[in-house]
Amino acid sequence: MSKPIYELIDELPNGGVTVMALRSLDFVVPGEWNNLIGFNNTITAVTGESDTAMVQAIGERAVALFNDKSQGYQNALWLYQTVDSASGALGAAAMANKVGQDISFLGFLKNLTPKPEKAQSIDLSVKLVVELVAFCQINGIPGDSIGDFLAALGDYGGESLMRMAALVCFDGLVPLGPDFALKGLSALQTMQPKELEENATFKGVRSLIPGGDAAGQLSFITSSVDSVKGWMTDFVDSRGLTPESVVDNLTKFVEVSKDKLDYLGAFLDMTTNYYSHTGTQTLARRLIERAVAEL
Amino acid sequence: MPVIKRWGSIVLSICLCGLVFFSTGCASKPPSPYAQVQQETTQRGAPKAIAKTATQGSEFNKYFPKSANGYERVYAQEKKGFAEAKLNKDGKNVAMLSISDTKSLPSAAQKYASSTTDIAGFPALEIGTTQTGVLVGDRYQVKALSRDPSFTKTERQAWLEKFDLNGLSKLR
Repeated sequence: MSKPIYELIDELPNGGVTVMALRSLDFVVPGEWNNLIGFNNTITAVTGESDTAMVQAIGERAVALFNDKSQGYQNALWLYQTVDSASGALGAAAMANKVGQDISFLGFLKNLTPKPEKAQSIDLSVKLVVELVAFCQINGIPGDSIGDFLAALGDYGGESLMRMAALVCFDGLVPLGPDFALKGLSALQTMQPKELEENATFKGVRSLIPGGDAAGQLSFITSSVDSVKGWMTDFVDSRGLTPESVVDNLTKFVEVSKDKLDYLGAFLDMTTNYYSHTGTQTLARRLIERAVAEL
Repeated sequence: MPVIKRWGSIVLSICLCGLVFFSTGCASKPPSPYAQVQQETTQRGAPKAIAKTATQGSEFNKYFPKSANGYERVYAQEKKGFAEAKLNKDGKNVAMLSISDTKSLPSAAQKYASSTTDIAGFPALEIGTTQTGVLVGDRYQVKALSRDPSFTKTERQAWLEKFDLNGLSKLR
């Protein structure tokens, strides 16, 4: 087993490219995300309880719940972590040579290759489906209930809403442009199962994607994206988001250049792990909410 | 020469500082207050957090109160032995409502032995500073948990009374 859950939450960073990139999206979902870190800190923020013995009791129950594999929390964490590392795997080798050096956009440029549109469309779609599956693993709604997921999407807030904002902006708008949802969907509709099987992001998480074989999984992913397409388009339209507005805000927090949008998507893919970061925060919140209610 | 000497002492002190940092860095961190529970719940044959015989969360949904008086109820979690709903007002989460099966955590039921009050005839307790709980049928714990200061102890008790506690007490 990997690290204890309390260590993962205690070790969430308060700076770095991921946190800065997410902060730059505050204009998209104002005040929703404040990068809550630290296990005890999260317990107090979520429950309003600050008595040391009470916090300890809540924490102990949360740890026990997480460690019970049958409860699905470990699957959810694995999904959030794996979809991040798999999508950025192309850049991992380039990163290795950069340790100790400034992680800046220009310093990276020569190691970056923009992802082909099809690969980027698969990334976007697989991340969306991972959100659906992880949501069901954490909250316990049966794994193929798209309707329940959509109802819950409407009630998304905090770090979950920020994760969706980052997905729409960093994996949709910036690399694929304003019609990213349609592009993603039409890429899936014309795709052969074999192409999906060769995609690194899909390969990383496919063991937990419903659908059986690759053809069934492709069809599950396609129908999921089709269902959430309207929500994503509305998210962008209602806020008047454009690739330019996202990049403008990003440049206030991360050193990037505006004239290389196709490279920017690859840069963010390689240097951020926003799914894993905010996914750990979501998991922490749900575990703690359940723990305090059960005590 | 004095310059070189001074440089020498600067380099030496940097090295010493480095050594101090290094050795304190290597010294073991104090153990986490959660190290014991981590060990107990991950070792071979560790007891499960949720009892095999616990009631499915989906069984609990029908006993929850409905949306009312400007409060919207949104189901949030439904796991074995546990179900929880958010209570939102004006789009803001102000409280959580939950039902859990104490089969998985007998101490949760035992604490009601000290109860001196009741809600609808079932033993009730104030827990911590944000929670009110009631134990139904000696097995199911129903809680209202404040998430906003405007949702006070009075509101918590009022919402607990809206549950179908009698119905829940017959669930086996």
